[in-house]
Formats: sequence, C-alpha cells, structure tokens
Amino acid sequence: MERARFWTRRVIWLLTAAALIVPMLVRIRLPMFPSSPARKLYRAVEAIPPDKIMVISTSWEPGTYGENGLQTEALIRHAFESNKRFAIFGWIYPPGPELGQNIAEGLAKRYHKRYGVDWVNWGYRPGYADMIRGWAKDIRAIVSTDAYGTPIGMLPVMKGVHTADDIGLMVEITPTDSIGTLVQFVYGVHRTPLGYAPTGVMAAEAYALLDSGQVVGLLRGLVGAAEYEDLLRHRGEAYRRMIPQSFAHALIILLVILGNVLYLLGRRQGEETPTEVQGEQRAGD
Amino acid sequence: MLHDLAVWLSHQDGVVWLGAVSTLAIYSILYRENPVFRFFEHIFVGVATGYGVQLIVTQVLGPMWWEPMVRRGAWYWIFALLAASLFYFVYSRRLVWMSRLIIGVFMGLTAGNGLVGFVTLVGPQVAASIKPVVVVSAGVPRPDVNHLLFMITLITVMFYFYFSISHAGRRAGAVARVGRWLVMVTFGSIFGLTVMGRMSLLIDRLSFLLFDWLHLRPPG
Repeated sequence: MERARFWTRRVIWLLTAAALIVPMLVRIRLPMFPSSPARKLYRAVEAIPPDKIMVISTSWEPGTYGENGLQTEALIRHAFESNKRFAIFGWIYPPGPELGQNIAEGLAKRYHKRYGVDWVNWGYRPGYADMIRGWAKDIRAIVSTDAYGTPIGMLPVMKGVHTADDIGLMVEITPTDSIGTLVQFVYGVHRTPLGYAPTGVMAAEAYALLDSGQVVGLLRGLVGAAEYEDLLRHRGEAYRRMIPQSFAHALIILLVILGNVLYLLGRRQGEETPTEVQGEQRAGD
Repeated sequence: MLHDLAVWLSHQDGVVWLGAVSTLAIYSILYRENPVFRFFEHIFVGVATGYGVQLIVTQVLGPMWWEPMVRRGAWYWIFALLAASLFYFVYSRRLVWMSRLIIGVFMGLTAGNGLVGFVTLVGPQVAASIKPVVVVSAGVPRPDVNHLLFMITLITVMFYFYFSISHAGRRAGAVARVGRWLVMVTFGSIFGLTVMGRMSLLIDRLSFLLFDWLHLRPPG
C-alpha cells in the first residue's frame, strides 16, 4: 500500500509535466475571453490624461517572473502603444525596478521610445508605508534622482509631476498584499486611481477592492496578463503559456474527480482513508 | 581556476547551463529527498542572502545613507545608525531596555498607520457591502440577482461567524450551514487560483528549460 502511494504521486507529477510540456511544443490555439476586471484596467490606462504620468510599481522579484513579469510587459507595451509616459518604481523588493527597466528597454526599441522622455526609472525606495505617505505628498523629495543618479528635475518625462495628484494611474504589480498600503495612503488620501496586478494566489482577495472601487481594474496572475495581451491585439508569451496552463487545469479536474471516486469506492469496501491512517499514526506518536 | 570559471559563467550559455542544472537539481526532490537537492538548496539560500545584502548595500545604504552623510554634508544621518544600533541591545540582558525604546517607536508608528489605514481601507468596503437587491431600470423596479447573491453570502457567512446565538436550532442551523458552504466555495476559489499561480511558475521554468536551454522552437 505504501509503495503504491509512493508511485501514485510520482505518476501524477509525470502526467502534470506531460500536460504542460506537450502543449508548449505543439501548435494549439484556444479562445481567450478578456474578463471585466482586465477590461477595466485597460480602459483606465487609456483614460490617463496627457498631463499626468502612469506609475508602474514593480513590487516583485525574479521568482514570480512567470506571472508578474508578463503582467509588467503587457502594461508597458500598452503605455508605449498609447503614448502614455510612465515611471517604474519599486518600494517592496529592491530588484523590481531593474527587472521592469529590462522589460521597458526591450520594448522601447520596437516602439522607438526614449528613456527620460517617454519613461523614467525611479529605482527602489525603502521605508514602506512611511515612505509612501511622504512620497505621495512630495514625489521629488523622496525620488530626487532616478535609478542612475540623474536629478529627476532634468528629465522631460517628469514635467508637471510633483505629488500623487499628478499621477493618472498607479498599477501595483506584486505577489504581496502591498496594495493595501497604496489604498490607504495613495487612493485613500489623494484619490489617485489604482490598478492591481497580483499573482494568482493573491487574486481572490482583490475582488473586495475592485467591488468597492478602491482599485479600478485587476489582472489576475498569468491569465490576467494573457487577457491584457488579447485586449492589445498582441497575443504573446502570456497567451502562449495559458495553453499548457489550461491543459494542466483540465488534468487536475480529472484527477480530483478520479481521486474522489476511488475514495468513495474504498470507503464502500471498508478501506481506511488516508486521513484515518494519518490520525492513527499521530495518535501512535 | 576561479577566474576561468567566472569567465565561462559570464558566457551566455554558461549561465543558462548553470540555471538548467540548478533547476533540475531542485526538482529532483519530486522523486525523493536526496543530497543533490540539499546541496543546491543550500546554494540557493546562500546566493539569495548574498544578493539581498548586496542590493541593500548598493541601492539603499550606499546612495541614501552613506553618500549624503559622508559626501554631501548631511551629517545628521549618523543618528539613523545610532537609533538602528539600539535594536542590537536585545542581546544584552542588562541593557535590553534600550532596544525597547526603538521597538516602541516602531510599534507606535505602525499602530498609527494601522489606525488611519483601517478607516481608509475597510471603510469603503463596508459601505460597498450595502447593495440594493431591487434596482430601478428605466423606471421599472427589478431584482438584481448579483446583489441578491452578494447579500445572501454576506449575511449567511457573517451569521456563521456569529457565536452568541446557538447554531443548533433548525433555522439558525440552516443559515449557518449555508454560510459554511459559501465559505467552502470561497476556499475552493482561492485554492483554484493558487493552483493557477503555481502552474504559471512551473511553466516559466519549463519554458526556460525547453527554449533557452535545449533550444527547442516554440510553436509559431
């Protein structure tokens, strides 16, 4: 019995690997239906007036590139396509702005955009909530230079940008719950519109913020990035990755059904359930 | 030899090979616990810690504390060092009270922020929870199914967590049971999103292995 359990898990992992790898290598097309939260974020970016800047808050690390990186790429692509000037900013993880900058530089060549004119990298600023409170009141007091030491006032992209009131939209891209701080001190005090691009794990909790209007739009993990690509009419890496994702989900649904059927059959035949076995083992310990 | 290794690693393929071997070594835990996994796990912890320290020194302490204090005459930044040093008195039994000074300051700051934050974060969500179950559209009143579902969920789940009334009765038990089922649905939704998130990260690694390391061609 123990041996069977050992191998069952390994077989499930092999099946999962196959369900992911095969669709990554074979050309398969699946339909994509952008959700309402993604559409709302798209419209919020479109609605940023020319005299205001968009802030892309890259509060993520390399570990969540598979979700947050692709969300960042979709948002920067939209900013470049719609000629919205933007600032990359990090206040949770130090590597975030550098990762965002790499993505922006990769896309800038294609859209003929220039650093300092069309976008700026504010770098990382420590201090969390206390820093954010001060930053929202006076951006240049906290971000006196960009990530490369250039005085922020010398960059054309910063024209007219002094406080959070000059921000048309701030999008928080993160695997953390940092959006709460921005809701409290940026939206709550200055009424600056906020967008939210969390990892899938954090997405369920974001609906309360969306429902109350504290965030204007939402990208839910990888599927959010794929939806955004679809809205941009540029089905790229996020869309490609949603195909193996869909196959893996179908496999998991099948395995859940199969597991429950085997569980019920086992109970009918009087077998001990894994929970009962674990309970007895704990009692024995 | 170390220099040669660094030169080799700086070559693009060297970095990719290192990443691929590390990824496969970490995934070897899926078969069973083994020394290769342990070795790479320790390397990962060391590299992550070193990377973090380097970032804090080069991006925070250097440009935001040391440079202004030493090169731009902002001598008062020395007080930040003195204040921060108080944290380390936690290791002294005799002088532990000094660490409590700075910890108290931070507790006060956090509590103050929390109080302001609670009002601005939770207040609008409470207000948005009161939804009309009948809406008037073009002069005609009609039930709003979404709002009705929301209100049923809100009331039954709150009742489930209200323990001053016994849930043993038939009606109270039924309402609490509906609340419990709706909580379960929420947990299922959160778990589903968690699975999606973990799969996304696995796809990212597989994409690296298949396309960056093995140079397979993604389908067009």
